[in-house]
Amino acid sequence: MNVAQAILVSVVLAPGVAFAVLAASWMIGWSPSERVVSSVTGLTFFGCSLGVAALAWTILAPHGPASVVVTFGSWFAVGAYHFPLVLIADRLSLPFLALAAVLSGLIGQFSATYLHREPGFLRFFLLLHLFAFGSLLAFACGSFDLLAAGWEIVGITSVLLIAFFQRRPAPVENGLRVFGIYRACDIGLFVAIFAMHHWAGTASFDHGVPMLGGRRAVIVCLLLLLAAAGKAAQVPFSGWLPRAMEGPTPSSAIFYGAISIHAGAYLLLRAQPLLATSHFASGLVVLTGAATAIHGTLVGRASADAKTSLAYATLTQVGIVFIEIGLGWKWLAVVHIMGNATVRTMQYLRAPSMLHDYHQMHSAIGSEIAPTGTQMEELLPEGLQLWLYRWAFDRGHLDTILDRGVITALLRASAYLAKGDHIGTASRTMRPRNVAPISLHGRAGQGCD
Amino acid sequence: MPVPAWMFRAPFLTGASIAVPWFAAAILAVHRRPARIVGCLAALASVVASTTLLWEAPKSASLYEALMLLFSCLTLGAILVLPRRDCTNRTIGGILLLLGSTLLAYSTENLLVLLAAWILSEVPFVFAGWLGARTWRPLFGLLLSSLAFALAIGLISTRSETVSIVSLSGQSPGGIVAFGLLVVAVIFRKGICPAQAWVADAAGTGPAIPTALLLNGHFGALVVAKLIVPLFPRTDQLFPILSYLAIFTAVYVAIRALGENAPRRLLALVALSQSACILSGLESRTAEGTAGAIVHWFVVSVSTVGLFGILRLLEVRFGENLTASKHLGLAEHAPRLAVFFVILSLALVGLPGTLGFCSQDLLIHGALTSHPLTGLLLPIATAMNAVSMFRLFTRLFLGKRRTGFTIMADALPRERWALATGVLFVVLGGLFPMAIVRQRAIGTSTVEHAIPASVTTRSGTGGAATVAATAMRISR
Repeated sequence: MNVAQAILVSVVLAPGVAFAVLAASWMIGWSPSERVVSSVTGLTFFGCSLGVAALAWTILAPHGPASVVVTFGSWFAVGAYHFPLVLIADRLSLPFLALAAVLSGLIGQFSATYLHREPGFLRFFLLLHLFAFGSLLAFACGSFDLLAAGWEIVGITSVLLIAFFQRRPAPVENGLRVFGIYRACDIGLFVAIFAMHHWAGTASFDHGVPMLGGRRAVIVCLLLLLAAAGKAAQVPFSGWLPRAMEGPTPSSAIFYGAISIHAGAYLLLRAQPLLATSHFASGLVVLTGAATAIHGTLVGRASADAKTSLAYATLTQVGIVFIEIGLGWKWLAVVHIMGNATVRTMQYLRAPSMLHDYHQMHSAIGSEIAPTGTQMEELLPEGLQLWLYRWAFDRGHLDTILDRGVITALLRASAYLAKGDHIGTASRTMRPRNVAPISLHGRAGQGCD
Repeated sequence: MPVPAWMFRAPFLTGASIAVPWFAAAILAVHRRPARIVGCLAALASVVASTTLLWEAPKSASLYEALMLLFSCLTLGAILVLPRRDCTNRTIGGILLLLGSTLLAYSTENLLVLLAAWILSEVPFVFAGWLGARTWRPLFGLLLSSLAFALAIGLISTRSETVSIVSLSGQSPGGIVAFGLLVVAVIFRKGICPAQAWVADAAGTGPAIPTALLLNGHFGALVVAKLIVPLFPRTDQLFPILSYLAIFTAVYVAIRALGENAPRRLLALVALSQSACILSGLESRTAEGTAGAIVHWFVVSVSTVGLFGILRLLEVRFGENLTASKHLGLAEHAPRLAVFFVILSLALVGLPGTLGFCSQDLLIHGALTSHPLTGLLLPIATAMNAVSMFRLFTRLFLGKRRTGFTIMADALPRERWALATGVLFVVLGGLFPMAIVRQRAIGTSTVEHAIPASVTTRSGTGGAATVAATAMRISR
């Protein structure tokens, strides 16, 4: 293993090791102080950032290698099937690695003050480290198998951070909702990986994405689109995004402003050569992106709180990124993601203090600031404006459709099956009660903690 | 002083691992001894004997020795976790009887002994005053499974001149009727649809930890691996029916769990759904599916016993009226139990960083390879189970801090060490899965060798005509 390979491995493992050390110390009864936790976090991500810079220096040098690849063989293998353990840093993964390392460190430093004396301080930082490990693994992996592992870690940490303020029921219920959607969409990723193994014999992309033809390529691309759409909150899965705003602002910034929301786009960028072979799949990616961009911009205009407005602004841009990927403009999409992620992170982190600034400004001038310019929607007929407002206010009715079409149907099926299970039991206490496990009513995304 | 060589021989070690728990159970039935200490010592003796057996066993035939070690360790952990109020002579005696019977079933190559072990393992759960449930269905399910199994063994014994499983290998003894009876026994014992209801009843109204041990003996999967696959190799068109039923059960029970609010029942349903995947993997007859099923057996057993243990500890501390219909906020009182619960839950539903991820990955590949369409239902069931487990975790542990409890202790040292061992197993197994997958992949050769070459490349579904033709072939 040469120096560059060692650096790549260290960059990916460092947050994982920090997580393991902090978690183990808590488990054996020693709770590290805030100072220790923030110092460990700062050192870890500073080291990661330096490591990514060194990798960039190596790869982007005039005569440098196109990529740094580390192969550990198989994580596990049975018969002909094996789970490849390959890490790769190339021109596509480098920007994402840099984004994950730098923004995680930035969020760590910001949160050390923001969450000072918060009861869940250690929990937040543990989850931040685990998230950083998952995202670095997902961006540095050399196979879709390993990407799925990092992908799942990002998902579970995301959900646990949405439910960070655990004493309030709304964040917990919204976390559950997001978890359900993540798990449903991740089925696409797992089946796509199986299909790649089955048809191409591998799901590794260290030597290029496994190429398939005809209907097989379309099937794999559509499955990957399902996974990407779920993670990136694309239509029709956008309903979870405002619910995710219940988490602490720093986690909203890094998850839904920067890393997690763009992980879906990264997946499609990785699969882009395969996507390019199918006009149908590419068209569907463009269509999904366009629908999301329109949905995001409309709903964002009707959102009443700062974080939800920002979430929909991010979503609109991610929709446009999907369009760019579908059209094959890979590097434009990468630049777009970098810009969007950094700007949104800054905006999220500024959101709580921005409200204070506005209040101070209003107090200083003695009234509210006069609105500037005109809104484009005012050009539309009044009836259409009202209809659009209603549609946007209910966030495109996506949650309602999901509730009525899927969740209620599943709960009814569950209650029906429960009746069958209770045939012959006299106990009234064992009757099934149709209590919704996932909140069906009420609006999400009211938090700006 | 040198240790005598005969102490390292398989018959002695097997006998010790079985006889010591039974002897301890007998002592507890007669004398009033400190039950937990006697139970722990007996289970520890089984652990030591099983470890030596595994150490001495040839690498290509170590599956059942590994299962013996697993079940001994589970029993030891369960006795350690058992709350003081449950730690009676009767309960520990029942658990030790179950331990001895299960190890006997794993180790025997004799049909009649296997039948005796099957029945003995159920004895404590048949009597309501011992470890039995308070509803009729568990009793009905267990008795029917025993009846079907006894009829199958009786038929096989009368039709053939031997009761040795090895000698009967590949002979389809007893024909289609014996095969059908074995499948019925598996369905009832494992809780496969339409016999799924007794599992939730047993967990809901019976003693939680002993019931979890009963369910995690996985006698149904054992019969598939030990009898059905090796003895009936020409069931390539009939055997998938069991797999379809298992996959259907996984989905059915996963949907059922989505609306369940009683924590014990919910956990039992999720555990049933996940353990049904074991049968599907065994039936897939692919290397990935079979190895995945065996690793999943380990994961489900460790996770489920750990989760039931935590649930029982919560009941003892915070009252037995736990519900998943509202947030109970117990994490602030018992943070370590919450962490153990979430890690074991994630392992059970196959999230990365745990051994469950590897087993699910292998199982999904195996199931999709052998049954591309029905295999798709497996990840769907797992996703629903993940939602159910996360719901249970959030409802039990998250929410507003509650007051008014008399005991608000987190995990006690003995509970903490037992649960931490289980968590370490699933986490270290997830980080370094090859250490376990390799062993199990080798171990599964006993199952795979029973598969005729013509079967391994089959396309999957068979129509009614081929099913009937196979049935006729077997009956001949």
